[in-house]
Amino acid sequence: MDTLARIKDLAAKEFSIDAAGLDPAAPLDSLGIDSLSFIEFMFKIEEEFGVTVSDENLKGIKTLADLERHVAAALTAAGKA
Amino acid sequence: MAGRRVAVTGVGVVSPLGATLADFHRALAEGRPGIRRLPPEVAQGSGVQVGALIDWTPAPLFKEAEAANLDRVTQFALAAAAQALAASGLELASANRDRIGVYWGTGMGGAHTLDGAYKSVYGKGDWRLRPLSVVMAMSNAAGSNVAVKHGLRGPFANFATACSSSAMALGEAMHAIAAGRADAIVAGGAEALLTPGMLAAWQALRTLAPADAADAAASCKPFDKRRAGLVLGEGAAVLLLEEESRARARGAKILALLTGYGNSCDAVHMSRPDRDGQVRAMREALAESGLQPKDVGYINAHGTATAVGDVVESEAINTVFEDQAKETWVSSTKSMHGHLLGGAGALELAAALVAFEGTLPPTAFLEQPDPACKLRHVALKAQRVDPPRALMSNSFGFGGSNVVLIAERA
Repeated sequence: MDTLARIKDLAAKEFSIDAAGLDPAAPLDSLGIDSLSFIEFMFKIEEEFGVTVSDENLKGIKTLADLERHVAAALTAAGKA
Repeated sequence: MAGRRVAVTGVGVVSPLGATLADFHRALAEGRPGIRRLPPEVAQGSGVQVGALIDWTPAPLFKEAEAANLDRVTQFALAAAAQALAASGLELASANRDRIGVYWGTGMGGAHTLDGAYKSVYGKGDWRLRPLSVVMAMSNAAGSNVAVKHGLRGPFANFATACSSSAMALGEAMHAIAAGRADAIVAGGAEALLTPGMLAAWQALRTLAPADAADAAASCKPFDKRRAGLVLGEGAAVLLLEEESRARARGAKILALLTGYGNSCDAVHMSRPDRDGQVRAMREALAESGLQPKDVGYINAHGTATAVGDVVESEAINTVFEDQAKETWVSSTKSMHGHLLGGAGALELAAALVAFEGTLPPTAFLEQPDPACKLRHVALKAQRVDPPRALMSNSFGFGGSNVVLIAERA
């Protein structure tokens, strides 16, 4: 499963939404994901992928596609991709 | 406060005696205990042998991911609150929820979250904690989640006065409604602190009962000569309180009226109870309700089964009730559901309300009453009686906080 699909699956579970209907380009708040929920979700993403996304990069994440990009970059940097 | 009286229109419980009010009341009527040996993964090295542990599964009430973000104490709270609201028949969708509040009580708050965090930091050396740790562990998490879940935008309060917390929440909620601050309040409390770290702390106090040699379920024996200390429990209880005329206007079934609230502080010692403080709280509750001791047919005692506490409470009851103490029935239902600490006051008022159905719940295992606890005990088995006019519930907490509630038959 590719990174985006795994992120979508985790998001679907965490926020009780349908993975199929998740638009990666949709703003997180339009998916009903507020900032606190997102930070908790990031914690789980970091656990799942074994990577860390810096606080600075975290601020720039507005969509699941943004998140996928940062996770993929972190995986590459860690030699895991 | 004449004019605005306060009705109880719904009750919900998650208890060691069952996770519905019907199961809870049935167990009380049957004198069936919820105390048992703690499994090794719970007790660990604490030395605590018994507890009133709930077999809790978050599903189907909570989805897995949702449950992971709610401390156990909050899960109990949400479950009990949903039951109480459903039982009341109050239509929240059409109600003015700016006028409905939440008053909550808990001793420790999210103890499981805290325990997990400390285990991670000190046990594993992993300092990376969950971002929700603070909002899951804070003392007001349970009550606040109840407010959020149901959109209750009226007054909110959270009391943390150890074992009197939820009784205080109920008393203060009653006053808030009587004073016109709210038309209804979801009032109650919860506790869930059967974690290895908290158990070790309690064990250090040397106030917990060991397992009864013959029957672990019989380890908590309030007012008995053989009593050996308290048994910790967990759970939640919620009462929906409503201004009486509004409750009647919507045709609600009124289970009881909450008419008396006494609150005093011993101001002498952190843990040793004081007869005079308890007397003041009982007298204040009676005075507010306008009742005499003879009107109170049943007392749900604090009765934790400690050597000192049961004697002091017995003396306090005798001081307030004088000759009437020979007539008023007394029991401690902690013998069955254990001590819910911050949740105790609400759970025990919920227990006491069976008196209005003509059943007095017993002090289980009270085979050898201590002569120093001179009370008219409901011993061993539930007693069938004519429903009393009024009942009293006592809750006395560490720190010297004494709360007494009086409910009257509707």
